[in-house]
Amino acid sequence: MSVPVFKGAIISDFNAGNFEGCLKNSEDLPGVDPVLAPFGQVVPALLQDDFECWRNAPDFAVVWARPQSVIPSFARLLRYETVPADLLLSEVDAYWALLERAGARVKFLFVPTWTAPAHHREFGLLDLKAGVGPAHALMQMNLRLAEHCGKSPNIHLLNSQRWVEAAGRHAFNPKLWYMGKIAFGNDVFIEAAREVKAALRGLTGQSKKLVLVDLDDTLWGGIVGDLGWENIALGGHDAVGEAFADFQRTLKALTRRGVLLGIVSKNDEAVALEALRRHPEMVLRPEDFVGWRINWQDKAENILDLVRSLNLGLQSVVFIDDNPVERDRVREALPEVFVPEWPADTTLYESTLLSLRCFNAASITAEDAQRTRLYAAEGQREDLKRQLGSVEAWLKTLDVRVTVERLQPANLQRTTQLLNKTNQMNLTTRRMSEAELSEWAAGANRRLWTIRVADRFGDSGLTGIVSVESRAGLATIVDFVLSCRVMGRRVEEAMLHLAGEYARSQGARTLHARYVATEKNRPCLEFWQKSGFAAAEGALFSWDLSNPYPRPDTVTIEGKDA
Amino acid sequence: MATKDKVLQVIYSGIDAVNQVSAKEARLNKEPETALMGEAGKLDSLGLVNLIVAIEQKLEEEFDVTVNLADGQAMSLKDNPFATVSTLADYIAGILEQRKP
Repeated sequence: MSVPVFKGAIISDFNAGNFEGCLKNSEDLPGVDPVLAPFGQVVPALLQDDFECWRNAPDFAVVWARPQSVIPSFARLLRYETVPADLLLSEVDAYWALLERAGARVKFLFVPTWTAPAHHREFGLLDLKAGVGPAHALMQMNLRLAEHCGKSPNIHLLNSQRWVEAAGRHAFNPKLWYMGKIAFGNDVFIEAAREVKAALRGLTGQSKKLVLVDLDDTLWGGIVGDLGWENIALGGHDAVGEAFADFQRTLKALTRRGVLLGIVSKNDEAVALEALRRHPEMVLRPEDFVGWRINWQDKAENILDLVRSLNLGLQSVVFIDDNPVERDRVREALPEVFVPEWPADTTLYESTLLSLRCFNAASITAEDAQRTRLYAAEGQREDLKRQLGSVEAWLKTLDVRVTVERLQPANLQRTTQLLNKTNQMNLTTRRMSEAELSEWAAGANRRLWTIRVADRFGDSGLTGIVSVESRAGLATIVDFVLSCRVMGRRVEEAMLHLAGEYARSQGARTLHARYVATEKNRPCLEFWQKSGFAAAEGALFSWDLSNPYPRPDTVTIEGKDA
Repeated sequence: MATKDKVLQVIYSGIDAVNQVSAKEARLNKEPETALMGEAGKLDSLGLVNLIVAIEQKLEEEFDVTVNLADGQAMSLKDNPFATVSTLADYIAGILEQRKP
């Protein structure tokens, strides 16, 4: 199956041919096919719908303009003229209006922040002075842009200062400017291309969701089985110990933005868990991990087992291990798992983790911060399942409650996030921005419900989407999305019951669903094949609405929109 | 000759930098006979700028010298030094030779 390639537009006031080349040539996924607008045409490109760069209906655009070329007052500041702050910001607002207009043409619009022109270093003490200092003005201007972007669901500001810093003294080169009108060195463009691709991955559900770590010499220094937990290197007044503690803090911070942690380690489980529980400077405790496989088995097999038990896909996993042999083994056995090269120098652990660019997210929801707890509850459910033996008996004790709501501003962000992140139980895997989804759901003969799922172990939150479009006796399920966290609890059947009852109320005689295969949504096909719907042409499923689709007796459906 | 070999390595690292941003069909081989400019050359104007800047930066790092490969003198020479990788290496080696104390 081919990997999707994103069509892009690059609009800049300088020659961005090298940036285009970096985007095309970078081996990072996703693939990108950009069209470069003629440079120096920023305002016409943003204003005109028929400008060439829009003709190919790009999925995303990057608008990269130097501040002195799009904000006239900033150019005046560079000439030592005094400029009132409100005038400067009003020009930023006017520029934002252009960006917003362009944002309506694409799913994602990326705007690198403004950076100071490299050759303007003579401002010295004046640089940060209000009214005259370019550095002061740039901070205000970038902040204003960030505030605007904060209110827009699909326009994202990218921090280009980091690219400039990473490129160091090769960030700018006067010869590139005077001979080619190229505003930055290639090292800046390489960083920018990586960032844009990471953003695209984050916005289209390809971010990593689970970090699996080894223990000895990865979370702490030394072999706990040999040294005892009291003697491992962790924290204290010691460079190596501090580096391990900081690495653990950074891992813990990731859990607050929805990334899960797990352990895969060759160790004695009791010894390792004792270290995690008892070491006074241990940052990560057992409850910070959604699961572990601590034994002497093959790590690749352990990873497979743990990931399956969490209902996640291997493509959402990062595996961190100090041992190059273990890294190679996992890379070879499980090529979908991302196994970053890991430095031998422990003081580089934290910065290596932070540079991975695989955890991108456009927002952090309250559920993200609690995801580890939600998965821990899932572990309790699985334990109960094992005790009860039969799935039906287990489901009866779970007391699953489904709350149904129509799409509305309060749940739009989470619904869009779910639509764009869910891979496995996803009928069509269509990806949409908040504005697109909202507009679609408001269309005639359409209904989109969000599904919240709770049971006696806790509230899993908004974890499902089902939408129906009905026309002339035929109703079609357009979206059928369910988080892997709640799969297999007959919420799927409850969603079909909901769709079926709505379709019957609209006078439809048949309910259709067309499965669109991706690399990852095989579990969805397997559900539909067992759903009771008649299968035709392999991927078209239909239900004769003269009979209602049965409501699962182990699930309670609530909500005024049910 | 030792200098020319070192210069060739510098040019090859410049070619790596150019290839990093070039379309597949425009990429240059790291060989002395690779044509750069002229009828047989694959370098467009953007590629030439990239190559010049990358080589100048590398020369500064490797030899601690500042060289201007884009001055009028180089471009106006009867035998264009940018004809092939080898002619460019000869030209740069000549400049380095002149700079020797």
